[in-house]
Amino acid sequence: MRSRDGNYTFTRTVLLLAFFSSLALNASEFLISYRYVLKDAILYNETLDISQAMKKCSGVPQKTLSLEHHDKKNIKDILSANSEEFIEFIHKLGLDVAHRGETINMQNSSTTILTLKTTCFKVDINENFAIIAPLK
Amino acid sequence: MKYSLFLAMFLSLSACATANEIPPVSATCQTAECIKPQRIAHDVHKAKTLEKKSDMRISVTGQGVAPLNTTSPAQAYALAKRAAVGDAYRLIAEKVKGVRVDGQDLIKNMMVQKSSVRTSVNAMVRNANIVETTFKDGLCEVEMEIILSHAQFSY
Repeated sequence: MRSRDGNYTFTRTVLLLAFFSSLALNASEFLISYRYVLKDAILYNETLDISQAMKKCSGVPQKTLSLEHHDKKNIKDILSANSEEFIEFIHKLGLDVAHRGETINMQNSSTTILTLKTTCFKVDINENFAIIAPLK
Repeated sequence: MKYSLFLAMFLSLSACATANEIPPVSATCQTAECIKPQRIAHDVHKAKTLEKKSDMRISVTGQGVAPLNTTSPAQAYALAKRAAVGDAYRLIAEKVKGVRVDGQDLIKNMMVQKSSVRTSVNAMVRNANIVETTFKDGLCEVEMEIILSHAQFSY
């Protein structure tokens, strides 16, 4: 039997389902790796690789980072516009440090490589912000 | 005769005094070289260790230089800071995990032909914080610290 105000409960459920499914569709996963090389205390090379995940990543989101996207929809554009914040966030997540030093006939040289191993990030873009969280 | 008695007494007194100063050594060790390892071991015991239910703060200062071919002072600062942060991470890794050192000397006809020392560090560093950054005369210095807790290392 229908209630007097129409099928309100049904409509609400459908709307809620539509809302959450739109959120889930907006959230996507990206594989990101970062690496930079220092030679004799000078930055020599820096690379940030971003690629959309081709299959679903496993794991739960860890601590999140919110970046203003300024109406940009592409994750590469968003990250390049907020590169300082994002790289600081990556540093907090943890980097592998590999250092080699060499002293030959009293002359020093050194190479340090810092790497963020390829990590899956969940990216959720809403009205003003892009919310990025690594999956672990 | 009198003088020789005084001399003997003086020598015996000075021997007693030195015996009190030097820490007891094993019967086989009679030279100063034998005493050194004991002193080093004593200092190692004094070194700060990570106790249960306590934290340890490790602080380092990394240094970085901007490359010569930068287009603006701002770019030079950004690149030097990145280098300094990398150096600070390396110093933290060295302090926490240690350094592997390999040395090689080539000696020919009693002359050193080639001397090389190779050092290497491999570690994973996370949750290090920047405390202070200074940039002066093209050199960027970043003070970083990391807080280690006993729980992080206990399984």
